[in-house]
Amino acid sequence: MPSITVPPPTAIAFVPTPGTLEAALAFLDRAGAGSGSAVAAADRRAAFAAYGVLPVAGGFPGRSWRYDYAKLPFDALQWSSGRRSVPTMPFAAPAAADLDADRPALATENAGGLVHLGATLLEGPGPTSTDPRVIVTSLADALRDHAELLTPVLHQIVDPHADRFAALTTAFQNCGAFVYVPDDVVVEAPIQLLFVNGEAQAAAVFPHVAIVLGAGARATVIERHAGEGDAFVCGIVEAHVGAGASLDVVSIQQADPEARIFASRGARCERDATMRWHLAELGGGLARSVVTTALTGEGAAGEASALFFTGATQHVDLTVHTDHRVGQTTSNTVVRSAATDRGQGRFFGNIAIRKQAHGSDASLRDDALLLSKAAHIDSVPALEIAANDVKAFHGATVGSVDDEQLFYARSRGITRPDALRMIALGFFEPVVSRFPGERLRDEIRTALDAKIDAATEID
Amino acid sequence: MSLEISGLRVAVEEKEILKGIDLDVRPGKVHALMGPNGSGKSTLAFAMSGHPNYKVLDGSVRLDGEELIGLAPDKRAKAGLFLSFQYPAAIPGVSVANFIRSARMALRPDDLPPAKFRKMIFDQLDVLDMDPAFLSRYVNDGFSGGEKKRLEMLQLAMLQPKYAVLDETDSGLDVDALQSVGRSINALRATEAGADAAFLIITHYPRILSYIPADVVHIMMDGRIVKTGGPELANLIEREGYDKIRDEVASSVA
Repeated sequence: MPSITVPPPTAIAFVPTPGTLEAALAFLDRAGAGSGSAVAAADRRAAFAAYGVLPVAGGFPGRSWRYDYAKLPFDALQWSSGRRSVPTMPFAAPAAADLDADRPALATENAGGLVHLGATLLEGPGPTSTDPRVIVTSLADALRDHAELLTPVLHQIVDPHADRFAALTTAFQNCGAFVYVPDDVVVEAPIQLLFVNGEAQAAAVFPHVAIVLGAGARATVIERHAGEGDAFVCGIVEAHVGAGASLDVVSIQQADPEARIFASRGARCERDATMRWHLAELGGGLARSVVTTALTGEGAAGEASALFFTGATQHVDLTVHTDHRVGQTTSNTVVRSAATDRGQGRFFGNIAIRKQAHGSDASLRDDALLLSKAAHIDSVPALEIAANDVKAFHGATVGSVDDEQLFYARSRGITRPDALRMIALGFFEPVVSRFPGERLRDEIRTALDAKIDAATEID
Repeated sequence: MSLEISGLRVAVEEKEILKGIDLDVRPGKVHALMGPNGSGKSTLAFAMSGHPNYKVLDGSVRLDGEELIGLAPDKRAKAGLFLSFQYPAAIPGVSVANFIRSARMALRPDDLPPAKFRKMIFDQLDVLDMDPAFLSRYVNDGFSGGEKKRLEMLQLAMLQPKYAVLDETDSGLDVDALQSVGRSINALRATEAGADAAFLIITHYPRILSYIPADVVHIMMDGRIVKTGGPELANLIEREGYDKIRDEVASSVA
């Protein structure tokens, strides 16, 4: 009998059902080592079971908040996993020399990186690290080649069953990256992880990024989400910051206005380690980001600087959680957000200081600026303090542009729209100024400026 | 050519504060507007500049023939009016350099290439005894009283208005700061661009007038200008305070 060979599908239709999960598992089986899978079938099934029963946190529709996380539409999404050779890597041009001496400089080159188009890992002559001991590779390859480095952290920092979205990422993980910087190695240039979506295919992308810094190491990882089309991106970033190490993770989200983008980010900081998150949520139709920093060693410090700007009908949902598990730890969270048109935002800030965490020092500051009547931002800061002898501060404001500021600028000849733009951009500056490198800061200022340009109503 | 205020009546929250002001400030002249607290001096400054909380009931303010009442604050600035605020607002996140550059560009687009702007602002900083680091600080954010007033003077020098209203610029200043302010204004008046600039100096105390001599002195009480004279009027206030003039006005009305 003649054998009929059916070419394997290049993608499967994605909806979060048991049938899709089994189809995905079959897909990964066929793709074998060529796929980007770094999660065992049993773990995927367990995570999917958890997805079905975990409570839906946060996303309930309100007066102006449109989305119900329990009823997200998943029509016409394509799930796949694999890699493709490309002649060149689409990294940004080399950065100009940085003026900041005391920050991990975004120097004249990238120290390695990965580019994903949808869930497809693009492989080509990319920038390489200056130190051969530094590893920047796909998560799947890391599991094969560097299991001893990866397995102690994989799924250990962000609990795969922490919430529905972390569970969904784990069940359908189809790409990702591993960054490893050994003890005492300082990587000056940024390591870049680029996630781009193409317009042609509404991709379902489930990236899992793991970052490990050894004791005394230092690095900056820039994670970017960009591209076109109504992709669904749901990812995990987990970082282990070794004793005395210093890690900056920059996340710039400029996804298509039709895209839905979810992220669960977590860090664990050992003794005297420093973790700095710098988040800019600028794109996407719906963007949800949860950032959790666990300070597990004395002297550890966590810093979170986040901004979001919602315009049109964008929704952004940001949670920043800092957990002071031991004493003599410090944290500092600064969030600035603005909304125009019918933009919606919500911020949950939470600082927990455990019972044994004496001598901890935490501050949480969140300010929101409403630039139109239909725009709305909710702000919910919270402190849970179980220890004595700690310093903790939190403050939040939600307001519109101050009339006296506006009058002052206008009295100098600056028109009302220009004055509003100036005041709004200035409002973000306390967060923008904490991003590493003048080039990156300027990039964010330009992006914020473009958001103001795109607004139909600024008041 | 003049800044001509006539029959100006202004209310704040339904209460009439200015009850008919007439004032004519000619190019190159320095007018002092003096009066006790609460007489309406600052109200005049805000009403002229177009602050939305100050409602003009009647009258006009014409700048070289152009009616300012009804114009947006930025249009008034473009016409040539400048107000030095008694309590200027802070604009966090906006640097002094960026703010002044934006204002200069708005008022006089493209007249000053960046290098010339830079030289001009550094020269002015020097006149005002200000550290260049000042330029990268955020506008009035965490400034001391003296720093705020110096920033107002820096803007005055950089924006080169035709008519400048200085609202209590001297209040809260020590002698050194006051000298800087005087030096800055006199330096501006000595330039070709500033020779025709006119000043309306609103003040409670006459001491600023020893640095910037006034050509004309007006005394304001209860929303009206009750007396106008030469510099000697300021000296009279210095010696005898406002009570004597108050009594004089009361008896002339009675």
